[in-house]
Amino acid sequence: MSCPQVAVVREVSNPLLRLRARPRRIALAGNPNVGKSVVFGRLTGSYAVVANYPGTTVAVTEGRALVEGEVCDLLDTPGVNAVEGALSEDEQVTRRILSSDGADVIVQVIDARNLRRGLMLTSQLAAFQKPMVLVLNMMDEARLHGVSLDVQGLRARLGVPVIETVATDGQGIADLRSALREAAVPALAFEGGRDHARWAHDHALAFRSIRPHSAARLQARLSQVLRTPATGLPVLAGVLYVMYLAVGVFGAQTLVELLEDGLFQGYIHPAAVRAADLILPWRIARDFFVGDYGLVTMGLTYAIAIVLPVVSTFFIAFGFLEDSGYLPRLAIFSDRIFRFMGLNGKAVLPMVLGLGCDTMATMTTRILGTPKERLIAVLLLSLGVPCSAQLATILGILGGVSFGALMTLFLVVLGQMFLVGFLAARALPGERSEFILELPPLRLPQIGNVLRKTLLRVRWYLGEAVPLFLAGTALLFILDRTGGLAWVTHVTEPVIQGWLGLPASAAGVFIMGFLRRDYGAAGLFAMAQTGQLSGVQAVVALTVMTLFVPCVAHLLMIVKEQGARVALSILAVVTLIALGTGAGLNATLRLLDVTFR
Amino acid sequence: MSRFDRTQRLSGLKGGSSGRVITVLADHPGRIERLRALGVTPGAAVTVLQTFPGVVFLCDQTELAVEPAVARSILIEVADEA
Repeated sequence: MSCPQVAVVREVSNPLLRLRARPRRIALAGNPNVGKSVVFGRLTGSYAVVANYPGTTVAVTEGRALVEGEVCDLLDTPGVNAVEGALSEDEQVTRRILSSDGADVIVQVIDARNLRRGLMLTSQLAAFQKPMVLVLNMMDEARLHGVSLDVQGLRARLGVPVIETVATDGQGIADLRSALREAAVPALAFEGGRDHARWAHDHALAFRSIRPHSAARLQARLSQVLRTPATGLPVLAGVLYVMYLAVGVFGAQTLVELLEDGLFQGYIHPAAVRAADLILPWRIARDFFVGDYGLVTMGLTYAIAIVLPVVSTFFIAFGFLEDSGYLPRLAIFSDRIFRFMGLNGKAVLPMVLGLGCDTMATMTTRILGTPKERLIAVLLLSLGVPCSAQLATILGILGGVSFGALMTLFLVVLGQMFLVGFLAARALPGERSEFILELPPLRLPQIGNVLRKTLLRVRWYLGEAVPLFLAGTALLFILDRTGGLAWVTHVTEPVIQGWLGLPASAAGVFIMGFLRRDYGAAGLFAMAQTGQLSGVQAVVALTVMTLFVPCVAHLLMIVKEQGARVALSILAVVTLIALGTGAGLNATLRLLDVTFR
Repeated sequence: MSRFDRTQRLSGLKGGSSGRVITVLADHPGRIERLRALGVTPGAAVTVLQTFPGVVFLCDQTELAVEPAVARSILIEVADEA
């Protein structure tokens, strides 16, 4: 059966552009990780952040697509495994869109290797009685695995266009565009009372044949190497080391030196000072831009010269890992550890992302199964997971002190995370969800995709972080001028100097740390460079900074995800733990007379 | 061998064994639904790939990792025991 609306359009003889009063709405639907977002990108010409694990498309993405000269609205719905029965939040969102006026045509994207799972969803989608098109995506992967599909047979049985694509290469997208006109309500829609699983099983058997294929063996072998502890753990150590080289050495040392010493100290600062001398006759105004707490000399320098290179190199490295399909395999190793903390192996994804940016990671805790898990993950992220800039600072400062200093910090922070996770798992109400995770096929990441994704993330970072850096610098400047900084330093002196044994000026750094965690870390870096911190002081200061309150952006994200009451509780708990641990560590190290020399 | 003899829990199978899913026991809320959505339904072909630290198996063309408690609840009619 063909949609009458579509039939009318077909009578018009090939105009250049057609516009309706209300554009036709085409919704993409499908299981997670089947390439919906890539198809979306191909049809709209824009790029949605695509990743190789479930849960990336959390919100609904909308775009415009030109289909045979007609402007249509295109919706990319969250990946779903079902639209009937007990539904997750994402599945409910998708069901609402697909069953309402939100969608005129449903394009279901299916991973060609997993026809059975795809058809189980088709069987449920058919019940909406809307025109549909089936897209069998990742045909290259399917062929690699020796899967061949009877497309003609499937088309005849379902009564809807069935298109084969390799969306990452753009193969079959032109066919899809022309097939959209022929979208039809599946015959299935009017056959009631079937068991979806049974139906999908039978039809997958009928329209698919699988021959064991040698090309798939390499992929299977590689997957085995990565997930078996004996080989996988050494590989993990290697991956971490390469990441350290890329982010900690190349990003945090080579690039930072180039930008900070070369570009900023060499050109921008002198130029800014000259310009300020010329334009600004008042000393206070000059200081506001180029003084100790100047917008250019401090704010911009920290944001662009110290933090940006670290964040960019992290996102490139993370993008590679993400697109290769490696990350979900880490979940197998970490499942037991996370279960101890009331989570399951899936939590490794937000935790690793947190090593890049805790704010972003807090957002992705949505992929976890239960409210309790989400809360614990948010708490642990704000307590112990250092973001990339912070991590680079830790490595930079403590690497120069001693290996023992570095290990002390990591053991204390990890120990606190275990302890807090363990207690939270027992104290908080609710349940943990079971560990059931799909391991996506391993793929060679495409450099273009990784760079595009990095660019989007860096742009997000610049838009979000730089204004906060500048606002933070301005606030510090005002505090400095009004005597506020001296007052805060005085008030917190018993804690900072007495308990933690740090120089009183560290108070300013902790305030900066609240504005941006990485900003505070950069401040500590400056203190260490000028020799204001001893070995023990560096360890204590960095431990407190790592455990300390999340930055403003992170806190706002926690409020958004968990509500203000929970956010304030986390803030209070984390502050107490950070100061308590720092004081304890300081006392212990001094008692044992450790100097890290 | 009768069908009964060949019925085993997924957790009891060694790496390399294969068979078909008979049923999934519902001793945790939502478990059956989540597994069904990933293709673990009666009749699905499974091959065990790894048993430690978690159970990894191939169901149809999908690689799945589950914790031991979940593997214990999946009953398999064994075709080929390693």
